Amino acid sequence: MSRLLVSILVALLASVPLWLTDFYYLHVLIVTGIFIVAAMSLNLLLGYTGQLSLGHVAFFGIGAYTSALVSLGFEVHILPDVTVGMAPKPVWFAMLCATAVAGLTGYAIGKLSFRVRGAYFVIVSISFAEVVRLVALNWVELTQGPMALNNIPALTLGFDGFELSFLRKPAFYLLVLTMLVVCYVIIARLVNSRAGRAMIALRENESLAMSVGIDVTRYLVVATVVSAAMAGMAGALYTHYIRIVDPDIFLFIYTVTMVIMVVTGGKGTLAGPIVGGVIFGIVPEVLRGMEIRPEVQWIAYGVLMVLVVYFLPRGIVPAIESYMSSRRRAPKGEAVAVAPEAPQQ
Amino acid sequence: MRKLIGPIATAAILAGSLATGAVAQETIKIGVTQPLTGAFAASGNYVAQGAKIAEDEINKAGGVLGKKIQLIIEDNKSNPTEAVSTVEKLIEKDKVPVLMGAWSSTLTLAVMPKLQEYRVPMVVETSSSGKITTSGNPYIFRISPTSEMEAKAFQPLVAKMGIKKADFLYTNNDFGIGSGAEYAKMLKANGVKIGVMETMDPKATDFSAQLAKIKAAGGDTLFVTTAVEQLTLILKQAKEQQLKVRIVSCGGSNSPDQLIEQAGAAANGSYHTTFFPPWFPEVTKNPDVSKRYMAEWKKRGHNVGGLTEGYRGYDGIYVAVAGIKAAGKADPEAIRKALWGVHVKGVYGDISFMKQGPAGKESGQNVPTVYLVEIKDGKVVKTSF
Amino acid sequence: MGELVQHLLNATILGGTYALLGIGLTLIFGIMRVVNFTHGELYAFGAYCMYALAMLLGVNFFVALVLAMILGAALGAVLEIVLLSRLRGADIDTTMLVMIGAWIVMQNTEQLVWSGVALSIANPFPADPLVMGPLSVSWNRVFVFAAALLLIAGTYHLVNRTRLGKAMRATFQDRDTAALMGIRIDRIHTATFALGSSLAAAAGALLGPVFVVAPTMGDLAASKAFAIVILGGLGSVTGATLGGFILAFVEEIGAGYISSGYRDAMGFLLIILILLVRPTGLFAQKERIG
Repeated sequence: MSRLLVSILVALLASVPLWLTDFYYLHVLIVTGIFIVAAMSLNLLLGYTGQLSLGHVAFFGIGAYTSALVSLGFEVHILPDVTVGMAPKPVWFAMLCATAVAGLTGYAIGKLSFRVRGAYFVIVSISFAEVVRLVALNWVELTQGPMALNNIPALTLGFDGFELSFLRKPAFYLLVLTMLVVCYVIIARLVNSRAGRAMIALRENESLAMSVGIDVTRYLVVATVVSAAMAGMAGALYTHYIRIVDPDIFLFIYTVTMVIMVVTGGKGTLAGPIVGGVIFGIVPEVLRGMEIRPEVQWIAYGVLMVLVVYFLPRGIVPAIESYMSSRRRAPKGEAVAVAPEAPQQ
Repeated sequence: MRKLIGPIATAAILAGSLATGAVAQETIKIGVTQPLTGAFAASGNYVAQGAKIAEDEINKAGGVLGKKIQLIIEDNKSNPTEAVSTVEKLIEKDKVPVLMGAWSSTLTLAVMPKLQEYRVPMVVETSSSGKITTSGNPYIFRISPTSEMEAKAFQPLVAKMGIKKADFLYTNNDFGIGSGAEYAKMLKANGVKIGVMETMDPKATDFSAQLAKIKAAGGDTLFVTTAVEQLTLILKQAKEQQLKVRIVSCGGSNSPDQLIEQAGAAANGSYHTTFFPPWFPEVTKNPDVSKRYMAEWKKRGHNVGGLTEGYRGYDGIYVAVAGIKAAGKADPEAIRKALWGVHVKGVYGDISFMKQGPAGKESGQNVPTVYLVEIKDGKVVKTSF
Repeated sequence: MGELVQHLLNATILGGTYALLGIGLTLIFGIMRVVNFTHGELYAFGAYCMYALAMLLGVNFFVALVLAMILGAALGAVLEIVLLSRLRGADIDTTMLVMIGAWIVMQNTEQLVWSGVALSIANPFPADPLVMGPLSVSWNRVFVFAAALLLIAGTYHLVNRTRLGKAMRATFQDRDTAALMGIRIDRIHTATFALGSSLAAAAGALLGPVFVVAPTMGDLAASKAFAIVILGGLGSVTGATLGGFILAFVEEIGAGYISSGYRDAMGFLLIILILLVRPTGLFAQKERIG
């Protein structure tokens, strides 16, 4: 997509609060937007390095909990007479902490779990998320366990006399949109850099990448850190929007939602998670609007997923791109260049 | 790209406007959010069925303020985020002036900030966590009892049942932990020794490790707090492990009829707290209301085991409607104020609200009657205490 | 002392159950490399078949068990032919997404058909448990344990000692060579998936009467199965069996002597611990890395 088109699209999206009077749709857009940021971060791992992380919700949840705890303040006993605590801090600072903590966790997990690949990596990532969930559930002194951290403050920016509150939906929507654009730019820069090419190289053929001197684990860890930090930021946004966080934030279904967004949209493409996210963020609302039983809504959702994979196995964005280039009757070579390489077996 | 998104977005908006547009102006809407799919689907559907009975009865009797009521029931998928979404939808799109929900304590806690943000009151029909009414949310009106109330109601029975040493097994969520803590506090105050306090994941199906530990602890009574599915398994597995203690289930989501059907002989000799005993409706505060509800439930062919859940939705709707009637208009703030004065003859008993929580932003809390029943020879009987 | 022995007995009985859950998944996930999210639903399917046959149609308990396994295999074959056969050679995440879709559809179909209310299945065993001194265990569980060992032994024999098993292993090790050797690749894929599904359905049919039958029952079973398979190593029937027993012991002892709140975390903690100490896993296989 050309830069102009992107700018127009962003401007169009930014104008939404001006003409969309029904705040419920704005709510749907906000939640969808937050999950798109999370899906974009997952795409960095899944799409660009080829590692299927099914524990991504852990980073999202760690971000949410960190931000909630820093903004609320906490105190825990590490040893019987050693307490660690923190007074409540401003929300913007809490969100930065969330990003940092999630990124650090990403570093540790990357170092640890990239000792294995493929199917093993899949389960290790699931295990990691499950352990984090159970810690959040059982470390009641810190997280309040299932009683949830509530009354989490909303984001306000500014100083005495001039405060910008993000409690209202239009302001929060614009904040999410800004984050989305920032993350998009970061990912675009990263994948087009030397590090990004190294990642794609190892996705395509790891042993070949290794043999030409690419430090595979290092680039995987870099990707995980950036990806985890972004997911943590998305989690922080989410927690200050919903304003409650409990261990259910680590539910597997949220990871599934992110994977659906990435794979149906087109993994390894910049626009993929956005397109997939918009569609699978809106579909449940369309289904909710129809007067059918909730089970049937779920069934329709599942069938739609399967159909998208069948008819557009590489995702929607690559399919549109190759359709467009075939319409332009470009020489064959160029059409192949636009579409990502066929997945290896 | 826009080619694809355009039609879908249009469809979304169209579908939405059709759903609201089709409804004529003369109804008053009440929003209901319940877990209709997912882990709590069984109970959520019962509550929704009870709510629909109330809707039909009220409309048959002429509705409220000269208008018919219309329930808009949304599925929160047993998931807190979805619960928030349903409340957003009910308030922002359907413009309901009052809500009822959201079954489990976690789901209710999740939607509470939204009630405050939009200033819309909600009748809470099932959740028991103390935090719901003590955290300073003036839009909460709870008709179900808190764990503390339940434990207090149990107090006179401690000596009568001869409880000397008690052990606990509860689910690791607000409901279970809250109940365990309140009962333990009450028992301790009455001189009962507390043995082990074991937890279980709400989805777990095997409790052999916990039960072996409880057996070794050697108490005379085991207090269990969970929903009926796990309770069935605990009764069965306690028998398998020859755990010869008296089992008391707390929390009122225990459906003794279902226990008898599914746990069979293993259910004999167990005790259950409930807030509505459909086996002897004559003991309830308003027997005529209880019988009317039961008759309609059976007439509709709903599962008899669900009687002990469905009444929550039934009463919840009556309370919401009483609030609308007392307010004189379908306005959230007016309904909130009016709910403080309502008196509803319900299955839960005589429902009215007392103040709970920090001064100035109290939540409403009803005080229902708590019953203890026993399963004896495959039948539910009144306890002999 | 009595408590410890009871814990060990419980763990052994539970271990048989877990092993049974694990071996079905290890075939599909371990050999076929399909992240099979329908495993839990096939388990639930087995349990619902058992309910429909034994409770509604009055079929003999043991006959119903066999029928549930056959129906499970049939459903597995259908799933493989309809959903997976077109995606041969696709990425692990593409097939996974299809399986997630199938999981959502299957679970909600169960709720639509049977409602969310839990059901229970009567069993023909004595209601009183088998008592040995301070220990006791239900007859139904003893039967499940025996049946599980039998199924595990049968599966082991099938995979390691028969022509079909050889063909399976060959196919998933090297498709092209296997095809050249005259193995009918498509049939092997379908057969493997059907076998794994049948084992999942068997687990459901055996455990349905022990626990209760509900639409979400498969989720827990699936999460246990995934933990078992990685503990034991992918694709190995022996590994999955050992993994099942290890998980059961760790859970039981963890819940008994550490904290029951962390009971379900034990397996996952163990996986992470193993990774820290021995990245190649408990039962090292060279395919594990890279």
